[in-house]
Amino acid sequence: MATTADTFQAHDDAHHEHDADHKPGFFARWFMSTNHKDIGTLYLIFAIIAGVVGGTISGIMRWELAEPGIQVLNMVAPWLGADPAQIDQTLHLWNVFITAHGLIMVFFMVMPAMIGGFGNWFVPIMIGAPDMAFPRMNNVSFWLTVAGFFSLLFSMFVPGGIANGAGTGWTVYAPLSTSGSVGPAVDFAIFSLHLAGAGSILGATNFITTIFNMRAPGMTLHKMPLFVWSVLVTAFLLLLALPVLAAAITMLITDRNFGTTFFDPAGGGDPVLYQHLFWFFGHPEVYIMILPGFGMISQIVATFSRKPVFGYLGMAYAMVAIGVVGFIVWAHHMYTVGLDVNTKMYFTAATMVIAVPTGVKIFSWIATMWGGSIEFKSPMVWAMGFIFLFTVGGVTGVVLANGGIDDNLHDTYYVVAHFHYVLSMGAVFSLFAGFYYWFPKMSGRWHSELLAHIHFWVFFIGVNMVFFPMHFLGVQGMPRRYPDYAEAFSFWNEVSSIGYIITAVSVLIFFANLVYAFTVGKKAAANYWGPGATTLEWTLSSPPPFHQFETLPVIEDHHDYHDHLPREGDAKPVTA
Amino acid sequence: MPIAAAYRDIRVLMIGLIALLGLAFAAQGLSAAAPTAAMPTTGAEADAAAAGDASGDAAGAGEGEAAYEHLGPEWIKGQPTSFEEDPWKSMTFQDQYTDDGQYALGMNMYILTPVIVLISAFVFFLLLVVVVRYRRREGREPSRTTHNTLVEVIWTIVPVLILIAIAVPSITLLARQYKTAPEDAITIKATGYQWYWGYTYADNGGFEVISNMMPLEEAEANGLPGHLAVDNRMVVPVGVPLRIQTIGADVIHSFAVPSLWFKLDAIPGRLNERVLTINEPGIYYGQCSELCGARHAYMPIAIEAVPMDKWRQWVLSKGGSFGEDAEVDEDANVQAPASAMEGAPAAGDGLTAADDGNAPSTPVDTGVAEEATAAE
Amino acid sequence: MAGAKNHDYHILAPDIWPVMGALSALIFTTGMVFYMHQDTMNGWQVILPLGIAGLIATFWGWFSKVVNEAQRGDHTPVVQLHMRYGMILFILSEVMFFVGWFWAFFDFALFPAPLELISEGTWQNIIGQDGAASVAVFPAEGIHVIDAYDLPLINTMILLCSGTTVTWAHHSLINGDREGLKQGLWATIALGVLFTSIQIFEYAHAPFGFGGVNYTSAFYMATGFHGFHVLVGTIFLIVCLRRAYLGHFTPRQHFGFEAAAWYWHFVDVVWLFLFIAVYVWGGWGAEVH
Ligand code: HEA
Ligand code: HEA
Ligand code: CUA
Ligand SMILES: [Cu+2]
Repeated sequence: MATTADTFQAHDDAHHEHDADHKPGFFARWFMSTNHKDIGTLYLIFAIIAGVVGGTISGIMRWELAEPGIQVLNMVAPWLGADPAQIDQTLHLWNVFITAHGLIMVFFMVMPAMIGGFGNWFVPIMIGAPDMAFPRMNNVSFWLTVAGFFSLLFSMFVPGGIANGAGTGWTVYAPLSTSGSVGPAVDFAIFSLHLAGAGSILGATNFITTIFNMRAPGMTLHKMPLFVWSVLVTAFLLLLALPVLAAAITMLITDRNFGTTFFDPAGGGDPVLYQHLFWFFGHPEVYIMILPGFGMISQIVATFSRKPVFGYLGMAYAMVAIGVVGFIVWAHHMYTVGLDVNTKMYFTAATMVIAVPTGVKIFSWIATMWGGSIEFKSPMVWAMGFIFLFTVGGVTGVVLANGGIDDNLHDTYYVVAHFHYVLSMGAVFSLFAGFYYWFPKMSGRWHSELLAHIHFWVFFIGVNMVFFPMHFLGVQGMPRRYPDYAEAFSFWNEVSSIGYIITAVSVLIFFANLVYAFTVGKKAAANYWGPGATTLEWTLSSPPPFHQFETLPVIEDHHDYHDHLPREGDAKPVTA
Repeated sequence: MPIAAAYRDIRVLMIGLIALLGLAFAAQGLSAAAPTAAMPTTGAEADAAAAGDASGDAAGAGEGEAAYEHLGPEWIKGQPTSFEEDPWKSMTFQDQYTDDGQYALGMNMYILTPVIVLISAFVFFLLLVVVVRYRRREGREPSRTTHNTLVEVIWTIVPVLILIAIAVPSITLLARQYKTAPEDAITIKATGYQWYWGYTYADNGGFEVISNMMPLEEAEANGLPGHLAVDNRMVVPVGVPLRIQTIGADVIHSFAVPSLWFKLDAIPGRLNERVLTINEPGIYYGQCSELCGARHAYMPIAIEAVPMDKWRQWVLSKGGSFGEDAEVDEDANVQAPASAMEGAPAAGDGLTAADDGNAPSTPVDTGVAEEATAAE
Repeated sequence: MAGAKNHDYHILAPDIWPVMGALSALIFTTGMVFYMHQDTMNGWQVILPLGIAGLIATFWGWFSKVVNEAQRGDHTPVVQLHMRYGMILFILSEVMFFVGWFWAFFDFALFPAPLELISEGTWQNIIGQDGAASVAVFPAEGIHVIDAYDLPLINTMILLCSGTTVTWAHHSLINGDREGLKQGLWATIALGVLFTSIQIFEYAHAPFGFGGVNYTSAFYMATGFHGFHVLVGTIFLIVCLRRAYLGHFTPRQHFGFEAAAWYWHFVDVVWLFLFIAVYVWGGWGAEVH
């Protein structure tokens, strides 16, 4: 690509651009940011805070579930203005907690971390672009997410029917969320989704445009790193799925407040309609939460095996296939609502199809390692953990996919086990893998590899102990969304709750590691993982300059997708 | 380096742990075999036993209905098993007491569990191999292989075949579950209220039995499982097809009984229907399985399945009727929620009012039990 | 290498509008909650207007900047291409938003609930009772629908017409005929306003109220959101008209105008679907007002 600087008219503040590393003042930098890396950092900090909030709530939940009876909810009830003497108010609190936990983990931890955080940081760099396509819109995406989080927090402190807070579950099913929850809490929670959703839709347009239009010369679609592919597919899922959710929750708002009867049978409405609309969004949403993780794992596995990704095209198109098929399987969440038999058969078959492209990914990762020269640095260990635990979560998904089998398992802890294996292990393992992979790149400082490994093992033991027993509870018939249960379920619940303590300790180790890095951590070199790391971020200093690629890198034709490094002399690592 | 060495040891330990987890997983399917086989399978035998026991012996948690004695705690069949009682059983499906349940259990035991355990184990094994064989060593050059059409085809085709092997019995199971009820099936409508169940016997005069959770102390005193026991059970005849209908009076509930492999949501404005044939007399517990508000965890389901003549006794004791005169007896729904709810948790927290058009309408004729919006 | 920029992407200076916009959105939604719960919460009169004002200020301030940047020449060809992609994707997401409303409508229409008319404007759901099948019709018995071939048909014509006038404006622009551009825009805006006025008239004289039954819910929310989009599109066109008077847009670079035109066509197409599905097919067999 010829230099086009001569046709470029710099604007008034152009002096900023003459120094790639000139940073704005504190307020302008963090509140008015138009820099993809700073916005990525904001997203990551936000996600970590949300993770702590969501994780703490789950701690209260596990504490309550440690034994039958209500022991903890009545203690914490006064925090949210409930009267512990009123048993219903206390019980309502349970529903508030699971709702907040689910929504926070999904919308304010995983999505912001994966797409907002790592996506923002590395998609532009990996395709050789100086920033996102719409830098200003990028920022509003972030602040809308924050606004959504606040709206959700407000909801916990205003009346939601029996007591404060929205107690509808993260799925917000009508009519429990309409006529079943009077008071403003549910409205605040719904608007929280509107706000975060608007942010995500804008973010999705931003990513798609960036990836389609801002690839450096020579960076064809089929040469893009798989992480970029994963974000591209994810962005399409967001773009097409979220607006349907927006419509559905808007119907909730009008049913609640303006007399429409979309979901009110008295006026001919249909509660099941809500479920269709929700899951038409909700199933793509679960892939939204995992695809960027797939992308990160691909980068990491290739880096530490010192091998190019095996079956690159298959990997990329497997994600496309997962995304496409993900739109036509939604009713597997609704097997018990009274679907007719043909519908159930269709959704059973369609759902199982997704195991095929997912299997392609699993096996391709292993094949990438096969014959490699593997170094078990912390990101790689997390990636290995991911591959195994995601498989475990995936195969229980295939069990649930059978409409006739799901009749027994639906809304039991088996489902809770399934989705925590793919989320609290799959998605979270990939987050930590990505974090340790890129943290020195982002911060310029080394974490402790030893602590990172300890973090891994403790977390691994902890989450398995929390969630594996849930399979047992599920097949034995323990329903989900229960604060209290029959005596027979005590043992495995207790095991699970003890597991939570181990998990919590591991999260503390994670924070200790952050403190270590920022206090005594060594400085990180440009390419600290060595020759296995071939994508463009490794050509930049750690941390990269405030504005990278003021001279676009050129990916020459004879470089195939296995090797994104510019050739010797094309562009030197930028250290400015 | 001592740390590195210790670390390698931990890794070995972990491998062992994971293997244990896999074993436990496997146990889910396999250990279900023994107890199921040990269950009485001949309906007649069991029927006789039930009849003898319940009518001869006046023990049990009788509520004082004239000619009917409820089954006692020794008849409890469908309930979760605690770890202390039987560790293996506490990790598996409950024993099944319907044909479809047995089929599903078999499918789980012989197909699903082996398949998912083997796939997980296979992936784990491959990872192990990779860890052992391909760790970085001085002087080893990584291969540059990135394609191998044969293995790529294999790992696409083999999962497809596995999935087909799962799909065939799975579709069969669905077809079985959706057999339509015979004309003369007995219709019982389960209505979910916040937070209790109402069972309407449409073919028997349309009376409604209101079923609340039994307070924990009372359950304990009666030798019944807490959280599961109820004051009034849903009494049904054993061995004959029941047409179970569900509907929600306020929000969505779900009528679920794990040991009968039965779960059907109770949705306002929608009459769901499914056939259920229970093989053995006994008591089968279930719990509301759709989030329905504060006391979602406290609206259990208890089905008491008894031989036909006993069931008829029970119906009569409830003021119900049989046959042609059933339809005439429109007033039989006198046991409206309000009166039957004494001692029930106050059902009036402002959310219960089923004041709209979808309030439970008791006299349902079997003929109009069509599901209104079935085909979605 | 530092400072030697060889790309023509748009690197922006820090900007306060995004955080202002998000804050305004939060204030707006909070104000809505206060408004909807005014019996227990006081102060929507302050919060809601504040939020709306903040949103308007944000759109104003933000888009003014974009226009200035465009005029200044920041919008290089590749940046214009970004905007094309962005606009197409935004419209795609809007399409999915309407999919939600159509889904609701077809759910009600294809699987009608058994609604029995009790008295004018009130229905009862008699699911599971005798005669349920006979009253399971859509629209529910007793609803008088708007005659599709009356005002709705006129509105269809108006929108189709406006599609041509906006194309007229576009062609004038491409051919350097600024007067034609202005005339085309004036005509389009006038047609848009006419459409909205007729829609308001239709709502005011509709034979049914807003809520209470599925038909009216689906009808008003679907057509209402469409109406809102017409309004937004009209404002967009008005901005373009003003810019046309200010001398913005060149035959080669006028994406602001094109975006408005695309949006307008999108709104047009949604209307065609609404007209065919909701007015013509949806009212089939029902009593016409
Ligand atoms: C990251 C999130 C994520 C992911 C990736 C998945 C992946 C899958 N999920 Fe899961 N799911 C959730 C998150 C996720 N899910 C959540 C949050 C819920 C609950 C929502 C709620 O109700 O609150 C849920 C619920 C849920 C249900 C509804 C259960 C119920 O409520 O009754 C079902 C049913 O079909 C299901 C199925 C599947 C399937 C088939 C996959 C597949 O994509 C899995 C594919 C992967 C594999 C199969 C493993 C790897 C493959 C191989 C090694 C190849 C060989 C394999 C075979 C031949 C089988 N999921
Ligand atoms: C991503 C999603 C996610 C995650 C990570 C978790 C994590 C955990 N969840 Fe989660 N959970 C859900 C999503 C998630 N959950 C959903 C959707 C529901 C359903 C809600 C509903 O029914 O409506 C649910 C429900 C649910 C239940 C069932 C409640 C019920 O049905 O009554 C329980 C019970 O034990 C539980 C426990 C836990 C525990 C102990 C953890 C622990 O693993 C928590 C430990 C903490 C962490 C793992 C966080 C660490 C992460 C960070 C600190 C951020 C790191 C960031 C970077 C590196 C950038 N959860
Ligand atoms: Cu009723 Cu849950
Ligand atoms: Cu799903």
